[in-house]
Amino acid sequence: MKVLAAGILSLLLVLHWKHGAGSPLPITPDNATCTTRHPCPSNLMTQIRNQLLQLNSSASALFIAYTAQGEPFPSNVDKLCGPNVTDFPTFHADGTEKDKLVDLYRIIAYLGASLGNITRDQKALNPKDQNLHSKLSSTADTMRGLLSNVLCRLCNKYHVSHVDVSYGPDTSGKDVFQKKKLGCQLLGKYKQVIAELVQAF
Amino acid sequence: MALFAALQTTFLLVLLPLGTYQRKVLSEPRPLTPESLEVSINSTCQCLHLQWSIHSLPHHQELQMIFQIQISRITTSSVVWVGNYSTTVKENQILQWSWESELPLECATHFVRIRSVMDDARFPKPRSWSKWSSWEEVDAQDSLGHNALFVFPKDKLVEEGSSVTFCYVSRSNLNNVSCYLDGEQIHGEQLTPNVSTFHLSHVRYKRTTGTNIYCEMKQGRKLAGTVLYVSKVLEEPKNFSCETQDLKTLKCTWDPGSDTALTIQPSSNYTLFESFSQKKKVCEDRNWCSWQVTQDSQEMYNFTLMTENYLRKRSVNLVFKLTHRVRPMTPLNFILENINSRNATVTWKVRPIGNSTFQCQVELHHDGQVIQQNNVFIKVNGKYLLSEMEPDTHYLARVRCAYGNHFWKWSEWIDQKFTTLEAAPSVAPDVWRNVRSLPGGYDVTLFWKPLSKSHANGEILFYNIAVESLDKSSKFNLSIPAPHNDTKLTLNKYSYQIHVTANNSMGTSPASVIVIPGEPGHKEIEEERVKGTENRFSLSWEPQSRDAIGYVVEWCDHPQDPLCGLQWQKLGPNTTSTVISSDAFEQGVRYNFRIYEISPGWIASLLEKKTGYSQELPPSDNPQVTTSSLTSHSFTLNWKDYSTESQPGFIRGYNVYLKSKMEQCTSGFERITPSDDSAGCRHKIDNPEQKTFHVENLEPASSYEFFVTAYTSAGDGPNGTFTKVTTPDEYTRMLTHIVVPVILCILLITVLFYFQIQWMKEKCYPDIPDPYKSSVLSLIKSKENTHLTIMNLKDCIPDAIEVVNKPEGSRTQPLGTGKPLTETELTKPATYLYLLPTQENPSGSGPCICFENFTYNQAASDLGSSGHVPVPPSTPPSQLGLLYSPENLLKALEKYYTNSLGEIPAGETHLNYVSQLASPMPGDKDSLPTDPPVQAQCSEYKMQMAVPLGPASSPPSEDTSLSSTAILDQGEHYC
Repeated sequence: MKVLAAGILSLLLVLHWKHGAGSPLPITPDNATCTTRHPCPSNLMTQIRNQLLQLNSSASALFIAYTAQGEPFPSNVDKLCGPNVTDFPTFHADGTEKDKLVDLYRIIAYLGASLGNITRDQKALNPKDQNLHSKLSSTADTMRGLLSNVLCRLCNKYHVSHVDVSYGPDTSGKDVFQKKKLGCQLLGKYKQVIAELVQAF
Repeated sequence: MALFAALQTTFLLVLLPLGTYQRKVLSEPRPLTPESLEVSINSTCQCLHLQWSIHSLPHHQELQMIFQIQISRITTSSVVWVGNYSTTVKENQILQWSWESELPLECATHFVRIRSVMDDARFPKPRSWSKWSSWEEVDAQDSLGHNALFVFPKDKLVEEGSSVTFCYVSRSNLNNVSCYLDGEQIHGEQLTPNVSTFHLSHVRYKRTTGTNIYCEMKQGRKLAGTVLYVSKVLEEPKNFSCETQDLKTLKCTWDPGSDTALTIQPSSNYTLFESFSQKKKVCEDRNWCSWQVTQDSQEMYNFTLMTENYLRKRSVNLVFKLTHRVRPMTPLNFILENINSRNATVTWKVRPIGNSTFQCQVELHHDGQVIQQNNVFIKVNGKYLLSEMEPDTHYLARVRCAYGNHFWKWSEWIDQKFTTLEAAPSVAPDVWRNVRSLPGGYDVTLFWKPLSKSHANGEILFYNIAVESLDKSSKFNLSIPAPHNDTKLTLNKYSYQIHVTANNSMGTSPASVIVIPGEPGHKEIEEERVKGTENRFSLSWEPQSRDAIGYVVEWCDHPQDPLCGLQWQKLGPNTTSTVISSDAFEQGVRYNFRIYEISPGWIASLLEKKTGYSQELPPSDNPQVTTSSLTSHSFTLNWKDYSTESQPGFIRGYNVYLKSKMEQCTSGFERITPSDDSAGCRHKIDNPEQKTFHVENLEPASSYEFFVTAYTSAGDGPNGTFTKVTTPDEYTRMLTHIVVPVILCILLITVLFYFQIQWMKEKCYPDIPDPYKSSVLSLIKSKENTHLTIMNLKDCIPDAIEVVNKPEGSRTQPLGTGKPLTETELTKPATYLYLLPTQENPSGSGPCICFENFTYNQAASDLGSSGHVPVPPSTPPSQLGLLYSPENLLKALEKYYTNSLGEIPAGETHLNYVSQLASPMPGDKDSLPTDPPVQAQCSEYKMQMAVPLGPASSPPSEDTSLSSTAILDQGEHYC
């Protein structure tokens, strides 16, 4: 459990890169001062869109690589990997840019944490599947950059420095089959959501 | 009284033991029923964990007790396990015990009860069991949650070869659930209405990541699963051994066997425990571990190597004395010194271990094989002389050492490669020659074989050829660089002695000598056949002289090639046979061997010639056979062009196959397979030089098929097609020889008779009698009318002249025109010269009238005409000129030939008889009259001939023959 807690904590610290990370953050008032630890690039929205496109283009390959870990996963994708994640953050495509960025932040934070769990589980359960590991790492890296850019945009333009986020279930205490199944469900949901986000931005 | 006292005493004596017995029985404690039984489930190990206690232990003592435990499944009556658990019990002690279930505990409700019995020696037997505790129920399904389908156990880890039971728990109808192991469906047994179990026996290891077992519900798209991990069995470490190189550190090694690591189970770890020192060390590697030797001079060591994984523990033990496990380090400073062509010196060092000596082993290797091995004992520095080596040869020297006080193991080898120095070649090159006579000299080609490595003693740089004339004092040298192995010399017709030596950097080899005589002998030697076997020939010969110094057998490996691949083998003087073998020998190739005798003066003279095949083959082709002398009973076959020398075997003869429709073979032939008609008959010719065969005793007018093939000892030549021959009929032959001459004779006689008849006819009864020659005329003159005369031919004007068989080159000219004929026209065999003017010949100068031959005109003869219709002399020339036009001509004809025209209408008949000029007299053939036809005598009768009524062709026609015809318009006819 200590190892698990340490893993989650470090993951959240990496995701947020600032003091106070790890706890749900409220949306700051518009008039509050907002600062980022790193200078934000000028073409933030373009970068966000490109990062979304990049994630969307690699989502299918990641999903296929994940399901290649023996039956029943390759042939029962609909039963095992359906995107029925109950507590997944919602996204309002018809909202303002600020609302959409806030939703995007919550989704990417959720996905990033879940991807951390999947990466950890797969390194233990499938230590020799370097293809899957590299795809998971690459996706996690892009998500971290995207989260940073979204935060920059929210902070710079909308002066939002805190957003309440939620995370998926912790898989550390679950059995191996359940870990595989939950990971597959999350990646199925990720593949679906990232396509919607690309459309929205 | 005394009796009473005695009875009382007896009674007391009886009661006393009874009382004692009663006291003892009462001292046994009553059975103690286990209390506070609690049962829990440990899903990880699939164990039922029991806790209970015993209250009111008598005397507050520790008691040895036996607890009997009953476990039931689903219902209390279905007991699945009963067992005893013996332990020492204290007052108020909580007792614990676990039971591992084969069936996953989540699959069914379990019931447990327990009872006890004293097992203490302080209490007398028999002892009775206590009452059973009440059944304690354990149902794990209550805490499963709300999912529709579960599979148990989770993440099961078992050893390879063991058995495992799975189950699924469904919330709905079981019939809709199918379960799979690694994608393949498995079938189980229904345990309860919503639980089915699957038993897997002797499971096999598949992969470190485990095998998915899952069940799916057809309806509701539910799928649940678990992962089965099958571990390889942890093996006992093999070949456990410890040794030291310096008496300071021990290195223990072992063979760990298969790695049992899985993704949920790490590799088994290994631990060394030394019992004398009670020290332990966890090893970092799976197959070796180092151990620091204590400084307190511990001599004996007792090691236990332990290993374990989640499922099993293993251990091995090893006891040894430290100084008996010394393996020295690899020797140092291994150096080769003083290397020459035969010897070298090796030196080395060892790391000292106390004052101990070392036993060292020195080895010399060549071509991967040990050729020398020696042991030496040293203290620190070693030295050894390697000898008896070959010059210019690669060697490998190596050395290893062992502890001198107690041999345990050799150290690792240390080695070094080296090459000995070169030396002069040790033997003369093997030289042979090929001599070809030239006008006034010889072409001598010298061949030599490269020296073997053991004889060359280094790299051969060149060959020296010294040529010395034996007849006059002349000498010259040649140097042929290696690797050339032949050279050509052109020598005069003297005797020469040739010395050939091989040279390397260290010197010259002994010389090989050959003498070329000035006058080669010309001895006819008959070639003898030898039979080879596979790739060898056994040759033997008769010595010619007693003082021969040796023999040489010469042959070509590739006799069909221009370069031939000359080979030779030199043999000693006492050798009269040898076996020539070569990988180049091929079957079906003729090899010629020449055996030479070498005289004391090194002159080679041809002794014998042999030829043969390593293996004969059937002929490669068949003779091309021609037939001749065909008669009704025989014919002759010839194949004189067939070459017997170029065949892949010695031609032994020929087989002549003959097929006919007759059942019996002709004489000289034998039927080869009676059941097969197609095989026919065969005649065998044993003489290969007989290349003709006369097939006789045949039936006339019969068809025969023959096929000739050569044969060797390996069989017949290739299959070929049979050639068909049909004998002629006997009568045909007779006809040819008898009837044809007869016919020729008849024809000759006929011709003779024909000419004779012509002559007789001319003489006796010509078709047109010559009135001058007729006796009738004299008769008439004398009896009736003396005025009757013979019509003068000059009174007749001829209408046409037929030129028959006009000789080539003669010149003629159309009458009336004077125009000369062309050469083509002149060569016509027969030509009419038209005297009547026609369209084609309008310029005819004068008419010529002929008379119809009334011999063919019955009506005319009926008129009593004599056949001569004289042209009226009163007809003027101008009137004749009117005949130029067709109308006038027709009128004239109508006038004179009314009867004829009336009887043979032009439209009804196809033939018109026209008169012709009589055949010219022999005297007319050479020169036709060139005078105008008016002067010609036309009174002669012309022969009649049939002319088809067709379009008029312009005369003279190309189609005219000996009797050409002047053809007029259709329906018209002229004489």
